[in-house]
Amino acid sequence: MNALSANRVLASRELLPQLLVAGIFLLLVILASLLLGAGPISAHVSLETLTGSTHPDAWFVISELRFPRTVIAVVTGLALGLAGALLQSMTRNPLAEPGLLGVSAGSGFAVALAILLGASTATLTTVVAQLGALAGCGLVIAATRVQGLGNDPVRLVLAGATLSGLLLALTSMLMLIDQRAADEIRFWITGSVAGKPLAVLATTLPFIGMALMLVLAVAKPLAAMSLGEKAAVGLGHHPGRIRLMVTLAVALLVGSATALAGPLIFVGLVVPFITRAIAGPDIRRTLWLCLPVGPAVVLGADVVSRLVAAPAEMPLGVVTALIGAPVLLAIVRAGRMPSL
Amino acid sequence: MNRIIPLPDKRNALVNSLLLALLMISTLTSLSTGTVQVSLADTLAALLGQADPMTDFVINELRLNRVVAGLLCGAALALAGCLMQTLARNRLATPGIIGIDNAATAFAVASVVGIGLSLAPSAMALAGAATATALAFGLAGAKGTRGYRFIVAGIGIGAIAAAITQVMLSRVAIDDANAAYPWTVGSLNARNPESVKVLAAGLALGYLVLMAITRALNTLQFADAVAIALGTRLKATRILGLGLSVLLTGLAVSVCGPVGLVSLLAPELARALSRPGKIPLTASALAGASFLVVADLLGRSLFSPLEVPAGIISAIVGSPYLLWILLRPTPRSLT
Repeated sequence: MNALSANRVLASRELLPQLLVAGIFLLLVILASLLLGAGPISAHVSLETLTGSTHPDAWFVISELRFPRTVIAVVTGLALGLAGALLQSMTRNPLAEPGLLGVSAGSGFAVALAILLGASTATLTTVVAQLGALAGCGLVIAATRVQGLGNDPVRLVLAGATLSGLLLALTSMLMLIDQRAADEIRFWITGSVAGKPLAVLATTLPFIGMALMLVLAVAKPLAAMSLGEKAAVGLGHHPGRIRLMVTLAVALLVGSATALAGPLIFVGLVVPFITRAIAGPDIRRTLWLCLPVGPAVVLGADVVSRLVAAPAEMPLGVVTALIGAPVLLAIVRAGRMPSL
Repeated sequence: MNRIIPLPDKRNALVNSLLLALLMISTLTSLSTGTVQVSLADTLAALLGQADPMTDFVINELRLNRVVAGLLCGAALALAGCLMQTLARNRLATPGIIGIDNAATAFAVASVVGIGLSLAPSAMALAGAATATALAFGLAGAKGTRGYRFIVAGIGIGAIAAAITQVMLSRVAIDDANAAYPWTVGSLNARNPESVKVLAAGLALGYLVLMAITRALNTLQFADAVAIALGTRLKATRILGLGLSVLLTGLAVSVCGPVGLVSLLAPELARALSRPGKIPLTASALAGASFLVVADLLGRSLFSPLEVPAGIISAIVGSPYLLWILLRPTPRSLT
């Protein structure tokens, strides 16, 4: 008993500094996001404005443009990082990423369909994105239950990539049908946190709140599940119920992120990859660490997307793909597929 | 040892003539369909040069180029797919899945939007295809071509290439971006006559070489030791086959963009129909040509006057099939 509690203390002692470092890093990225941009407002002027000097142009840029996109990037990163970690832990597959597996594409297709049918209010888009993500998530979970597929990470990813491709093709077809809708969809589908109104954030926050509560409830049983389903049953958990809750949580998180920033792939792959490397295989610690790391990754990618092509901006989805694909290659290239 | 004397291959001959008939029917239908509807008889007459000037213009000037381009692209992609499946001993290892067509697209787009290099799209697409193939094989390692690792490496490469294409499109003037757009979804709209000619030459050359090395390719289906014992020079055959596959993919992409699923579907169809044990090269090429011609026809006529790019049609038709292959509980020889 003593040894056990000593272990727990040790674990939290290790986790706390990691969390602190990651948190400080996130703060730095947030600062960078407020200071740096593609426009003519220099970092120096931005800093003066933040510390009190009055510079109306700079103030407008910071408060109306950079602040909203920073907040949205932080929330998106949080949601996608958690969703990736949850899905990977449950499917025991280090490649299970909502974007790669088609959950984001499902959500995107649902929103495109809704826009085509005339929906334009932010609330409706959010709900539709959740429903699309739920459908995509259900498909993924069903696919992992197919005999043999659950044990074959790569085949699952390939199936997911195919599903994404199919949904993207259908989305493009929708865009051909209606020019007005196409403009709206195109703006939304490239995956970007720029120019999104904070009102969307307000509509997604309740869903993210629900998802976080689910995560809190499911973290411990999920850790037990990683010992194997029989062990989890022996410890008094119900695998079916856990699976359902995780599915719901992932769908809520990915749906919210997609409603906020459009479909962003690879974030859910990169964030858990980093956190697992730092925190080790325990899903509870991984989840904690995802809280600062996820936002830092998305926001960092957003800052890069502003600077690389200045004075124009590069789509955020492109930057995350350029960061994420090498991570995918690294995971696959590792001599043995790391099992979760 | 008695040598088994091969029977005249009736089944494959039958399959090939059926596919050829299918190709002719789809070509004629595609030629006769459009905003101006031409009867099949008139279409035939126009092809033989015996129609009135108006019909002659519509068929021979407007539509024939496009249909021939589609036919060549489909055949080239299908041959490339069939070849790569054989070399990797993996049904899923086709240019569309392992990202070769995306990389070729990225390079071709680079040549159009004029970033630094101003080589012809054909040459650039070839360079892209070669780069991606080298990367996929290099990253998968020596043992990697058998199995999924190779394919996931390809997915990663494809994603990077697609992202690079996006970057280039977002950095150039809107006119250049629009000029390059059909390439990014796979359409026969953006073809340029030079690329089509290069493709025709490449396809003819590739097909002849493939026919010459068919026997060696057939032995690749066995274990390495068996193939060597049967007198196949493994390394030379593999390199030649891979080179041809890259050549065909690159040239096809320079004409029609990434319509990658053709390279999976057509060989699958050909394998299902043909006699097992041999590589159905001709049947694949015929099936691929029909597939792309029909996809283009559907894209033009389904939502007319809107035109759905052939790449989108082939993704919508092909993806469910690929999913079915992947999700079946007991996969048939996937590796």
